[in-house]
Amino acid sequence: MTSSTVDPVTEVERLAASTEPFVIGVRHHSPAVSGVLPALLDGFGPEVIGLELPTQFQRWLPWLTDPATSAPVALAGAGEPLWFYPFADFSPELVAARWARAHGVELVAFDLPLGDPGWAADRDGGGGRKLATALRTGATGRDGDDLWDRVVEAPAPGSPPERVRRAALAVGWALRADDGEHVDAVDLRREAYMRSALAEHGGRRCAVVVGAYHAAALLDGATGPCEDVADAVTSLVPYADPLLDSRSGYPAGIRDPRWQAAVLSARGDPERIETALVGFVVEICGRIRAQGHPAGPGEAREVVRLAGDLARLRGLPAPARGELVEALTTVLAQGEPLGRGRIVAHAMEQVLVGDRRGRLPAGAPRCGLAPAVEGLLRRLHLPDPDAPARTELRLDPLRSLLDARREVTLHRLRVCGVPYAQPGEVAGVGNAEAVTTRWVAQWTPAVAALLEVAGLRGVTLAQASAGVLRQARAQEREQGGSTGRQVLDGLQDATRCGLPDLVAERLTDVAEVLPRSATLAELIEGLDLLARLTTGGLPGQAPSPEIGPLAEVLHEAAIRQIDGLAGSVDVADARTLLALVVRRDRHGLSLRLDAALAHLSDHGTALMRAAAGAVRVVLGLDDATGLGQRAAAWLDLDSPEELTGRLSGLLAVAGPLLEAGADVLDPLLLRVERLPDAVFLHRLAALRGGFDVLSPAARDRLLTAVEDRLSDRLDLVLDIDPVLLGQWAQADAHALSVLERQGLAGAVALEPPDRWRLVLGRRRDLLPPTARRMALALDELYGNGRGEGSKSGLGGGADGAEPPSPSVREWSEELTTLFGPLVREEVLAAAAATGRVDAALALDPASARPSVTLLTSVLSLAGALPEHVVARLRPLVAKVVADLTRRLATQLAPALSGLATARPTRRPSGRLDLRRTINANLRMVLKRPDGTVLVVPERPVFATRAHRSTDWRLVLVVDVSGSMEASTVWAAITAAVLSGVPALTTNLLAFSTEVMDLSGTVSDPLSLLLEVSVGGGTSIATGLSAARSLVTVPTRTMVVVVSDFEEGGPVGPLLAEVRSLVEAGVHVLGCASLDQAGAARYSVATAQQLVAAGMPIAALSPLELARWVAEQIT
Amino acid sequence: MSQARQFDPAEEVHATELAFLAAHDDGPRPPGWQLTPRAVVTFVMGSEQPLTLPRGRTIDAVPARLTIAAKFVGERALVERCVVTLAGERGLLLVGEPGTAKSMLSELLSAAVCGTSGLIVQGTAGTTEDQLRYGWNYALLLARGPSREALTPSPVMAAMSGGAVARVEEITRCLPEVQDALVSILSDRRIAVPELAGGSDSAVYAAPGFALIATANLRDRGVSEMSAALKRRFNFELVSPIADLATETALVRRQARLLLERVQAPFAVDDAVLEVLVTAFRDLRTGATVEGWEVERPSTVMSTAEAVSVAASIGLAAAYFPSQKDVLSLLPGHLLGVVRKDDQGDAARLLGYWDGAVRRRAEDGSRTWRRMWDLRDQLNG
Repeated sequence: MTSSTVDPVTEVERLAASTEPFVIGVRHHSPAVSGVLPALLDGFGPEVIGLELPTQFQRWLPWLTDPATSAPVALAGAGEPLWFYPFADFSPELVAARWARAHGVELVAFDLPLGDPGWAADRDGGGGRKLATALRTGATGRDGDDLWDRVVEAPAPGSPPERVRRAALAVGWALRADDGEHVDAVDLRREAYMRSALAEHGGRRCAVVVGAYHAAALLDGATGPCEDVADAVTSLVPYADPLLDSRSGYPAGIRDPRWQAAVLSARGDPERIETALVGFVVEICGRIRAQGHPAGPGEAREVVRLAGDLARLRGLPAPARGELVEALTTVLAQGEPLGRGRIVAHAMEQVLVGDRRGRLPAGAPRCGLAPAVEGLLRRLHLPDPDAPARTELRLDPLRSLLDARREVTLHRLRVCGVPYAQPGEVAGVGNAEAVTTRWVAQWTPAVAALLEVAGLRGVTLAQASAGVLRQARAQEREQGGSTGRQVLDGLQDATRCGLPDLVAERLTDVAEVLPRSATLAELIEGLDLLARLTTGGLPGQAPSPEIGPLAEVLHEAAIRQIDGLAGSVDVADARTLLALVVRRDRHGLSLRLDAALAHLSDHGTALMRAAAGAVRVVLGLDDATGLGQRAAAWLDLDSPEELTGRLSGLLAVAGPLLEAGADVLDPLLLRVERLPDAVFLHRLAALRGGFDVLSPAARDRLLTAVEDRLSDRLDLVLDIDPVLLGQWAQADAHALSVLERQGLAGAVALEPPDRWRLVLGRRRDLLPPTARRMALALDELYGNGRGEGSKSGLGGGADGAEPPSPSVREWSEELTTLFGPLVREEVLAAAAATGRVDAALALDPASARPSVTLLTSVLSLAGALPEHVVARLRPLVAKVVADLTRRLATQLAPALSGLATARPTRRPSGRLDLRRTINANLRMVLKRPDGTVLVVPERPVFATRAHRSTDWRLVLVVDVSGSMEASTVWAAITAAVLSGVPALTTNLLAFSTEVMDLSGTVSDPLSLLLEVSVGGGTSIATGLSAARSLVTVPTRTMVVVVSDFEEGGPVGPLLAEVRSLVEAGVHVLGCASLDQAGAARYSVATAQQLVAAGMPIAALSPLELARWVAEQIT
Repeated sequence: MSQARQFDPAEEVHATELAFLAAHDDGPRPPGWQLTPRAVVTFVMGSEQPLTLPRGRTIDAVPARLTIAAKFVGERALVERCVVTLAGERGLLLVGEPGTAKSMLSELLSAAVCGTSGLIVQGTAGTTEDQLRYGWNYALLLARGPSREALTPSPVMAAMSGGAVARVEEITRCLPEVQDALVSILSDRRIAVPELAGGSDSAVYAAPGFALIATANLRDRGVSEMSAALKRRFNFELVSPIADLATETALVRRQARLLLERVQAPFAVDDAVLEVLVTAFRDLRTGATVEGWEVERPSTVMSTAEAVSVAASIGLAAAYFPSQKDVLSLLPGHLLGVVRKDDQGDAARLLGYWDGAVRRRAEDGSRTWRRMWDLRDQLNG
């Protein structure tokens, strides 16, 4: 029946001419066909009408056509896959059913019954689209428009009913013919069934309302067996316009229900369609205005004209939905698909989708989710209404099939919001993932009540949970797109609920969203989740090997994020970096990773440099000995923070290597042993801080390895004369005694093993007394450490007699005696950073060095303290802030000095300065014979535009969501300095998920910093919208965002906010960090999108920021 | 006729087609138009079948049967919207990435609507209000004082008085206050000349048929700095890059061949090479490959025009240096040259492309892509 040698015209003619049965090909929602259907049926006068609905729905047909039923409503059937048949007033099936009721004609649901094995057949992809393409080229509209819309709906108004019917049949026939031999097995089975069902009504005048695609197949072909199938649970549920729109996530297949309804009620009259169009356009413009964007009657008129003229140009009787959308986009969206375009799209959706809700007549039977769930629970031996008792369950879904089904059921109930079972915590062994799960389940009246609510979403648990998840996804999209977190959670939920379709949808989200906006940690979580999906390590989920390429995509995205780690001072980031690269080994070395690591090891913070260097060694990119030698050289760095940072980075990555006794770190170990005692003591605190990254157990192992090495190392090769050696030893001893007499040599002499015990903070019991005091003083700061082995005793030995913790004063004095005042300050500052308020109070404001690190740690303490303690901290903060401010003000002065004077532009404007021109060209005056004077203006002079010097406004929008960071401190201090500049108003907004306007205290950084409370989520969009409300004169306003750009919400609104600022002419700048280092830790993916939206992003120092401000103003 | 030029305006190149279409479709046309709106669309998009003049109508130098060549590769609906906009009272603003044939579309439209595409203002930072409104012949102005003779009309003013289509290229490069000179022109449809106030010359009114087409580049400044008042007087059309690989490859081949023909060199670049080139351009432009893999987009524009110039350079290399057998090996270097324009990071992004898409295609067994993967060392130069 379907070969390209058949002539399409005669084929469609044959279809249309058939009266046994009389075929009306439809799409399930179609105002065009719905409009002409009564006329068609009147003309044919059938005795029986067949509807393309599974037979079990027959019993609902009286309720469906009941005059008290108001559309939209939906028929739903239980089973896999899910059946859902929504009906609106413009659904041809509903129109036909109502017509049948009004005329007393028999109505038959004659599609394959639910539950027939045929439904489970594979769906094939389908063949080419040759004929459909041919049909498409004849039609009008944009390339992406639906074929049906363009061929059937658009030309329908005013056409005779028969022509509409033929167009519909032609579309169906073309799609079918294109599929050729590739028709889905499901469809073949259904058609065979429908043919045999029709045969039962042979001899009567029969009309069928059927998908246009199936129309041709009903006329000829073999009939299929009509086996009896078990009855299925079916229900009729109210529906709503928003669910009817294909964007809602529910199966529906049509867009803009309200527009379709308006087309139907126009009854094919082009003029009434245009009237409805005018109404919609005015309403849409109103919505856009309500959003604060201009769209007046002028625009509305142009939209209507454009839509009408387009229709005329295309030879259509009236504008269709396509013309309306095109006209709205052209006139209102202003070429910005993301900024203004989004607002227009949103307004269109609000207006065109509508909000009608369906109603069922009183007395219609209630739906079937609750009985279905009760039966399911009984089958799974879980608490049900008959045995509601609270039960604890330990499930092993990977081994037991029953447990797997229980697990899926419990998760589905959880997702539907039914409070039936609570998951418990199960810890895996070691780092491994737990394979068993724990639940506490109980049947309560609340469960029964909430099941009724969930029943609106479907008649089986699978349907309902899929509905909930799908709607959540649709909602995320409506709010500007899913965030990485939401995608991961959604994927997790979908897999746990055993919903393969949703998993597939979420996997497309993973491909779409994660590479663009997820953080590195989220990407790695995604990779792990995918890995489990691939191996089938999740219950209710078959292994899906095809996601390998997706994992690679995520991996590449993660590699791109590496650049954003450059500014990190968090050891967790170093570990993440390692976690990322060890996953890479499967694909071999990548050029990009190589480059990124090289960049990081050149431009990162101390921590990240060392980590990147170590990672390069782990990957075999760099020579191990080179790194070891560099690491040894770090010990000569005079900055404790730098040393601690580098060691932490190195050890976080290379720790395991070191434990195993690899010789990578030999030079470092050797250097620790050979340092002069005084230098060693000076560095000890920093070293201990660096090695603190390792867990206590790891340090124990390292200590053992070092001790072994030290005892093994015998200088067996003696190539120096022993006598000479003896003389050297004598000389050394003599020199030492001299030095000791002079008071130059240290009192303590530390053997290499003791040094290592001090550095690693283990085996305190083996140390000599002085050294033990040192160890104790440092332990006070570092405590037990974290991770494996941190629960056992400190000293590692059976010490038993631990001295009590010293008071801070004692401790501080002890530190001074043992290490000197510099180290004391360093240790106390580090203690303050770990949250010890008493240590911060022990710091002497007068001698404290003005360091931002100290300031941030003290400030993060201040938030959680009572007022009287803050009062005691205030002098310290005041001192540091004042020092920093003074220093910065001195630096910034030259950059800002140019602000007051205006530079005239040299650009010639259109206005000629006649007086000056004549002055400049007097030598070119010619006297002509007739006595007139001719000036030949060889050098015309133009009047320059007067420079407008008015006040500028600077809005600093500072992210305080994470912790108190150096950027926050610098932002406050920079704002304070800039607030002193005349002609510049400086505002400072601190935001997390809420915004705090600190502009009032901007000139006083001390109170400003004490007022900031850190913590909470990140919503940059909120911060920016607050900034936008401060904008009075856009072109003279600068908005500077200081953030790591790890936006907590969807990126869409953030981009829209940035665009609207940029669009208004505001000068915007993003600071990934604002400090003296110039390296930043931020989300590269989001930052790139922001750059594309018009906000340049850089890691700046305060001085560079001031220069930027100065450039904008002049 | 005239001496050889590097460029011929559309109305001269397609003179026959324009005359033919004017005779072919004698339906109602908007006032001042040379062709009907439908004929304008046909002129731009081409007619697939040959068209025939209505019986009994013959015009000199115009054949009775003619197939109109397709000139713009893109969506028909877009061109239809442009034409409808021109028939209305708003300006048409074509926005899009560089190299998407915006200027060509504007040239074709104006040639078809009013028979000339020459009333053009090129927008730059140095464009002044004179070029959009009017200037003065200063010598005459000084000697005689303000008069109609001393006034030099801008292309826009000429288009207004002649009822023609004026074109403003790269409008967003003009300063915002200069752009705003167009606001009153588009809303009032006249230019007031206050210097000549009181006389009949105090304003120049737009004749029927006057319309304005502006183009703007989304990459260099975007439309963000346009004032809201001006935006409201334009209908915006977004011109997208070519949607389909085969079409784009064909276009690149055609254009590159034309470029080479101009210097009388044979175009001997293999189709496989062209396809690799165009595929790479498309992947980097869209940020996703045909296979659906994510690719990091460089900040540089990967336009079709740029692809043409790379194809032409490769063609020239093959023509002038015949010893260069393996033209494929030139490709990575050219790609690097295209990508590495503004941002240092872009070179790294190209490396990422090699790691991802190129490597995977090579592993899938494509010979040309395996060769590309082998050539990866060229990128580290």
